[in-house]
Amino acid sequence: MIRRKISLISSLFLAGCLLLTACSSNPASSPPETKPTNSAQPTSEPQKETASDTLVVGMTSDQGTLDPAVTMDNSAWKITYPAYQRLVEYDGESTELKPGLAKEWKVSDDGLEWTFTLAEGNKFADGTPVTADAVKFSFDRTLKIKKGPVDVYNVIKEIKVNSPTSVTFVLSKTFPPFLSTLAANYGGIVNPKVMEKEQNGDLGQNYLANNTMGSGPYQLSEWKKGEYLKLTVNPNSSVKPTFKEVYFRIIPDATAQRLQLEQGEIDIAEGIPAEQLNSVKELPNVQLLQKPSLLVDYVYVNTSKGNPALQNPKVRQALSYAIDYEALTASVQEGYATQMRGPIPKGLWGHDESALQYTYDAEKAKALLAEAGASNLSLNLLYSDNKAWWETEAITLQAFFADIGVKLNLNKVAYATSREMIDKGDFDLALGVWSPDFGDPYMFMNYWFDSNNFGLSGNRAFYKNEQVDNLVRQAATINDQAEREKLYQEAQKIVIEEAPYLYLYQKDYLLPINKNLKGLVYNPMLEGIYNLADMSK
Amino acid sequence: MKRIITKRLSMLLFVLLGVTLLTFFLSHVIPGDPARMMVGQRASEETLQEVRHQLGLDQPVWVQYFTYLKGLLVGDFGTSIRTQQPVSHDLLTFFPATIELALLAFVIAIIIGIPLGILSAVKKDTGWDHAGRIFSIAGVSTPVFWSGLVGILIFYKFLDWLPSSGRLDLAIAPPARITGLYLVDSLFTGNWAAFKNSLWHLLLPAFTLAFAQLAIVTRQVRSSMLEVLGQDYIRTALANGINGPVLLFRYALRNALIPTITVVGLSFGSLLGGAVVTETIFSWPGMGKYVVDSIAYLDFPAIMGFTFVISIGYVLINLLVDIAYYMLDPQIKE
Repeated sequence: MIRRKISLISSLFLAGCLLLTACSSNPASSPPETKPTNSAQPTSEPQKETASDTLVVGMTSDQGTLDPAVTMDNSAWKITYPAYQRLVEYDGESTELKPGLAKEWKVSDDGLEWTFTLAEGNKFADGTPVTADAVKFSFDRTLKIKKGPVDVYNVIKEIKVNSPTSVTFVLSKTFPPFLSTLAANYGGIVNPKVMEKEQNGDLGQNYLANNTMGSGPYQLSEWKKGEYLKLTVNPNSSVKPTFKEVYFRIIPDATAQRLQLEQGEIDIAEGIPAEQLNSVKELPNVQLLQKPSLLVDYVYVNTSKGNPALQNPKVRQALSYAIDYEALTASVQEGYATQMRGPIPKGLWGHDESALQYTYDAEKAKALLAEAGASNLSLNLLYSDNKAWWETEAITLQAFFADIGVKLNLNKVAYATSREMIDKGDFDLALGVWSPDFGDPYMFMNYWFDSNNFGLSGNRAFYKNEQVDNLVRQAATINDQAEREKLYQEAQKIVIEEAPYLYLYQKDYLLPINKNLKGLVYNPMLEGIYNLADMSK
Repeated sequence: MKRIITKRLSMLLFVLLGVTLLTFFLSHVIPGDPARMMVGQRASEETLQEVRHQLGLDQPVWVQYFTYLKGLLVGDFGTSIRTQQPVSHDLLTFFPATIELALLAFVIAIIIGIPLGILSAVKKDTGWDHAGRIFSIAGVSTPVFWSGLVGILIFYKFLDWLPSSGRLDLAIAPPARITGLYLVDSLFTGNWAAFKNSLWHLLLPAFTLAFAQLAIVTRQVRSSMLEVLGQDYIRTALANGINGPVLLFRYALRNALIPTITVVGLSFGSLLGGAVVTETIFSWPGMGKYVVDSIAYLDFPAIMGFTFVISIGYVLINLLVDIAYYMLDPQIKE
């Protein structure tokens, strides 16, 4: 009798847990009164939609440091960019510049002195006015901290404050992209009062890693690590945005992001991979923002430290002809990509519409290999898990190269390891992506081809051609854009012909957003950064 | 008893020294350079060396190791390269979330697992037993990323009963921090809105995590119960007219629990360290995601700090297991 009771109790347990975990085949049968009412949400439909003055962005991982003088992580820029202002800003969807904190500027004839006149009325979030001193302070600070961004600003010899609204940058050499670098995240002007937060001479690095002190329309008001970052309006900004609160929620899992976008719990979902986008696009409340980006996906061909056969341009051309570019973008990017035409992507000045574009021609590739005397070629392809699509890409390339008799061995390593190996030149071929930090072909031509930049810093093909060196270096010393364009185009002809890289494709920027979101402008220079102050819903 | 505890705690010192030595040198042997991660991929050699110098990475490994140990002695875990925060601060931020999740999952696994195991043993080879075994095998063989997603689909999307991610709704302020466990803190401060909300957020991830652990508990309880129930003293007890709950719980279960406790104790350790996938699916701001990000960034101080704390956890759990043995089994004397 008692035993029966025990089994009854135990079976109740069993039934209970089965009920909790088993897949409910008939959800409609559940009694509505068991539904917990969530105190935070109004019970009226739709339950989960975000408020009209609140924007919620789903991103995949938390941020590291937010200090504009330290961070080189584009992902952090989506927080810092709206919190700071820069001397110049990118104009709408173009890579051209418009006035920012500076209402006008002029450059001396020798290209060494840039003088900026500041617009009046800009204030930091605490009400302090933005002055020429703050500008000098910010750049001096970056130069003293000597972390990532210093590489770009090493060219600054001195910053002179002429008056509270006028500041002059004296450069040590002509550097045409200088103006463009000022619009990047590290050009953000920081409130000099950050020095009150200094600890152990860190120039406020620790404080700014977790806080913002800028004059942009927003400021960081809360950061729950691992959960969300919350931006609120800078009360002293002249801009009055519609969104009073912007949440960046950390939702690592793609499926979770998708479900929350579908339910209206988030307005923007950053973490949905290309292969899921076609179905996400079909959701009734979702639209897919699709724009050509400046992010290129390409293969480094190690022209000096890899397999000796790769030193022969004919072998590199053969590899370029072996790829069916259309099939590659279709299989790897679901067609959301455009084949590159030379190193400078479409959308950036300097791109040459008439340049040679390799097309799939297996016969020609085999002939080139025969000419080069390279038979039974076996190459290693290095890649990492940094980009989800690289696995498919590597396998696709393997198949293409097998067709022309080249054996491709896949070598997948951890991201950090891959960077080390690329830096040392420890590979034959390697997959890579590149996007410009500032809107100037310098970002591609000088970084990729100048033989002073061997390794991770840019010339990852370890490619050296004196003529190309001369052309790109010359283009980096004159300020006349038309003349520079000519030099870059000349250099491009050579580097396309010699193929130290396999120019694969320019990726589309794809972002699933809620249909009722308005005013989002995509600027290819500011990928992943939102113009929050102009947006609404 | 005291001697066991003192002995174990003094052994902890050696364990920890070994752990720091191993993790430190392992993480410095693998190729990859955190300075490189920090300055960005395009940095020049000069900048890279400067940052390496700032981080102290240009010193010989053993000097770095002793600097690290010196810091540890005064409770300084170093500064995380990725978050630029003291590692101890980061651990205090992320650990409570993981502990809260692991504890609840652990409690659920025990509350359901032990009765289920007993039921299976008592009703051996009947429908109950088969159902219980199928259920527990399903739990152990279903990957968490799948059962978690199924849970989200059912309870978040279709039924709309439970939230799918995070610890609290955005509109709800977290309770004042005492322990960092939202459930406990909101109870202490009488913040019912936060208590209810954090409980709703906990349920789905905790059940998902418990589902995988439950099987281990159930199967262990079942087999040790079966073993105990077949022993002579149980037959003797039965012959003396002892049956029902008294026989089951006082005579059989107590003995059957001894091996179970080892398994359960270790499984709690793995709950702490292994909740990574669950945390990812449910956007749970715990250690899992933090450590994975740190490893990807080669953030040595963060990785070391995490390993250190987890090792302490394991040693303490083992100690607790031993103490529980001692209490359950009077035969185990010093």
